[in-house]
Amino acid sequence: MILRDLFLRIRALVAPHRVERELDEELAFHIERETQKHVTAGLSPVDARTRALARFGPVPLAADRCRDARGTGFVDGLVRDILYAFRTFRRAPLAALTIVATVALGLGLVAVVFTVYSMFFLRVDAVRSPGELFAVELERWAGADADEDGPFTRPDYDAMRRETSVFTDALAMLPMNVTRIGGRPTVATLVTGNFFHVLGVQAALGRPLLPEDDEPGAGRPVIVLSDAGWRKLFRGDRAVIGRRMVVNGAPYEIVGVMPDGFRGLGVTPPDYWAPLALAEQFRDDAAGRADEIAVEVIGRLKPGLSPEAAAAALSVWASGRAEFKTPVGRPIQVSLTPRQGTLSSDGFALVFSPLFFAFGLILTIGCANVANLLLARGVSRQREIGIRLSLGASRRRLIRQLLTESLLLSLVAAACGLVIARLFLEGVLYATITTLPPEMAQFVNLFNLAAPAPDWRMLVFVAAGAVVSTVLFGLAPALQATRLDLVPAMHGDVMRNVHPRRARHALIAVQVGASALLLICAAIFLRGAVAAATKDPGVRTSDTLRVSIDTETWRAAVLKTLRAHPLVAVVAASSRGSTRGVVETSLGEGGAETPSRVPVDQMAVSSEYFNVLGLDLVSGRGFTPTERTAEAGVVIVSESIARRLWTNGSGVAQVVRLEAPPSASPGGPSLPSRTLTVIGIVRDPGSGSSSPGTVGGVYLPTGPESPGTYLYLRVRGNPEQARLALLEEGLKGLDPGFGIMTLRAGAGMQTYMLQLAFWLTVVLGGLALVLTVSGLFSVLSYLVEQQAKEIGVRMALGATTRNVAGLVLSQSIRPVGIGLAAGGGLAAAVAIVLMATPAASEIGDLDVLDPVAYAASALVIATACLIAVSVPTLRAARIDPIATLRND
Amino acid sequence: MSKQADVLQGTLDMLILKAVSLGRLHGYGVLLRIQQISKDRLAILQGSLYPALYRLEHQGLIASEWGESENNRKAKYYRLTPAGRRRLEQSARSWNEMTDIIGTILGTRSEEV
Repeated sequence: MILRDLFLRIRALVAPHRVERELDEELAFHIERETQKHVTAGLSPVDARTRALARFGPVPLAADRCRDARGTGFVDGLVRDILYAFRTFRRAPLAALTIVATVALGLGLVAVVFTVYSMFFLRVDAVRSPGELFAVELERWAGADADEDGPFTRPDYDAMRRETSVFTDALAMLPMNVTRIGGRPTVATLVTGNFFHVLGVQAALGRPLLPEDDEPGAGRPVIVLSDAGWRKLFRGDRAVIGRRMVVNGAPYEIVGVMPDGFRGLGVTPPDYWAPLALAEQFRDDAAGRADEIAVEVIGRLKPGLSPEAAAAALSVWASGRAEFKTPVGRPIQVSLTPRQGTLSSDGFALVFSPLFFAFGLILTIGCANVANLLLARGVSRQREIGIRLSLGASRRRLIRQLLTESLLLSLVAAACGLVIARLFLEGVLYATITTLPPEMAQFVNLFNLAAPAPDWRMLVFVAAGAVVSTVLFGLAPALQATRLDLVPAMHGDVMRNVHPRRARHALIAVQVGASALLLICAAIFLRGAVAAATKDPGVRTSDTLRVSIDTETWRAAVLKTLRAHPLVAVVAASSRGSTRGVVETSLGEGGAETPSRVPVDQMAVSSEYFNVLGLDLVSGRGFTPTERTAEAGVVIVSESIARRLWTNGSGVAQVVRLEAPPSASPGGPSLPSRTLTVIGIVRDPGSGSSSPGTVGGVYLPTGPESPGTYLYLRVRGNPEQARLALLEEGLKGLDPGFGIMTLRAGAGMQTYMLQLAFWLTVVLGGLALVLTVSGLFSVLSYLVEQQAKEIGVRMALGATTRNVAGLVLSQSIRPVGIGLAAGGGLAAAVAIVLMATPAASEIGDLDVLDPVAYAASALVIATACLIAVSVPTLRAARIDPIATLRND
Repeated sequence: MSKQADVLQGTLDMLILKAVSLGRLHGYGVLLRIQQISKDRLAILQGSLYPALYRLEHQGLIASEWGESENNRKAKYYRLTPAGRRRLEQSARSWNEMTDIIGTILGTRSEEV
């Protein structure tokens, strides 16, 4: 019965002409037979037909009721509404286009934010029943830091699999192993042999890794590529199975390629997976102690078991395991956290909040615009709506029609928004990756970042956004427009104050204020970037490299290679960063009557450090190669500190006491309160915050062999080429991201970050301004249209063109002015608050109250607004008083 | 023409189902059949017949097909479906019950109370 109904409705929809013809035929047949009957009864054919029709009742009404019974009335109405809407759009294409563009932009930008959010927090990995997957985390005792937690090792994992039964199966993995394949940095995740089986993922090509590949101590040299890795390394060549690939100097066989969309429980996929049994080949720090490496353990919970119950059972097991060494008497807590390829951390919200705020501002402006535009459209259509109402259209029907129009516009906008979001994301990603300094690009490339393909979440989100915006921006104007006094509306007397002027001005002010805020930020970032780029870094960066060693066991080997390398001229070292301390001179020294105490930054450097970084000695001498620990009892003081300690600025051969804080950074001087002899005064490294690892303060001796120090190299020739040459050496134990970087790049990094911030804010600010200008334009155009009669009367009474232009202009000056003041004030307020918080040190050299930035943004906005206002003003000035007054 | 009774609200569907239950009919035939059985005592606004036919067809109570009429014209014929037969029986039963009750009430004399 329902099927029958559906069939008939569908038939009526797909073959409307045929169904209509049948209806006509059926009714005609009836009337014909009835006529015939009357003719037989003796009436003339004409009279017979008249009587038949009278008996039948109005034929169109019957046909209409039949159509209603058919249930296609709604659709028929919809089709008519849509056709009508298209006619309306054709009549006023500019208005339709503006609305679509505005909503598309707003929706597109929101979609960008949503995409990023979805990528990190919603996009569950394409594995079987991801809801059953939980990461196992040990907490040795309550309140323990992550560092204090001992590792969950492979033997622990094996024992857990053997001895507990809360999981149907569990896997272990070791992500982020950076390797070089054919000179390209790639990243591998080492996994247990059951990894793909537990996740329930089949290979797209070849086979996944199997338990046989991962026998402890006898791992097979096989790897499985991710889709991203396959495309990156082999350009998607299907003949890749069975090929050999050299990883870290050893050959591996490619046995499979995983499908697109499988990310191995990460936010982004690695390039390939290899057996965990081969960990020693991938981890420099694992040689000979593979069983001590911490692995991530993820289990598939047995159906019906709650995570809490499972965690409790695992806690009991872990507390009983002798290998987990704990402080006496403390039980081990095991916690299970869902692991589905998304992040659960909410710390990101804090990091991204300025970004979200900026995007939200654009949306606010867009919303205000569309509301204003639709409202203006509703008013300009009052006459049409009035006529339709008086012809008998129901108000409901008209509202439905207006909403259909809005929905159509929103849906078109949503489609455009999807494209905009995609282009924006890919554009930002491309622009960022191609303009990154090479060291950073190499690091970022490891993550295989890609704009995620639009998925169903995206479509649902954007469609919902379209519907919501329709309701938000379409409903109120539709209700407003159909609440009409019919007679004056038909006369073309549009209602006054349909939308209060104050609200409209507030909308303009908000828009201008938001644009001002964004553009001021952009200007500040630009000025900061220019300042950072032109500033003297204070240290020699032209031929200096910094080497960061991650695994200290390889330090000696790294040093040996570096010292023997033909491109390396000098090797120096310094502690990573500096620690606070206080320097105190002895009584009476340097002519002082009381000992002077000066807080300083202290840092440990090797004998060659000042030479490599180009910091000249003002007086005295540098460290000798034999002075390489704080025990040498010597210290070098920077010029500015020396001037504060000794009135004559020269403290060579003086004795000072250095008080160090309780904890020191790795490789730095850590012994508290020692007496030292000043052997030299060195030039300050400048304001220097843009140069890594340099401070003005006091320097204690250290050596390149000291663990935890950065190495600084003076190289021959181009530092970037030297960096690449050194990377080719295959040094082990380096920091995977920033193992070797040029100091120039380090100095350029800050400039780069500022440039990035500038471009982002300038694009957003530009969009905000465009929206504001278009909003201002449309609102003023509408006002002029509304006031045409008034203006006409004024002109007829002798107002000059200048008077009229002044009238129109005066209506926009106030809100624009208020908006500018509010935006500037808000920016300044945020800046002042920022300066007062600890975050101020993060801002660096950024002048957040730069008057040039504020003035420039205000000027740009004022100019843009003036242009937007000029067109409606000119139109108002050109109003023909006779024509407007006759227009009734 | 003698005085006709108006079709009671809601009974047209039942009458149509009954008419069609006696054999397949086109729309005009349904009218003729009702007039014939009722001996022309019912006034039916002929136009209202068709929306009712469409409604019943959508409810699956009757089915339609195109066929040749007596005078070789193409006509749309309706016939009762099994669901329609069930519905007819059910409405006839409740109709009879209702008329019985109302008849009893209307036939009640004062001494019977």
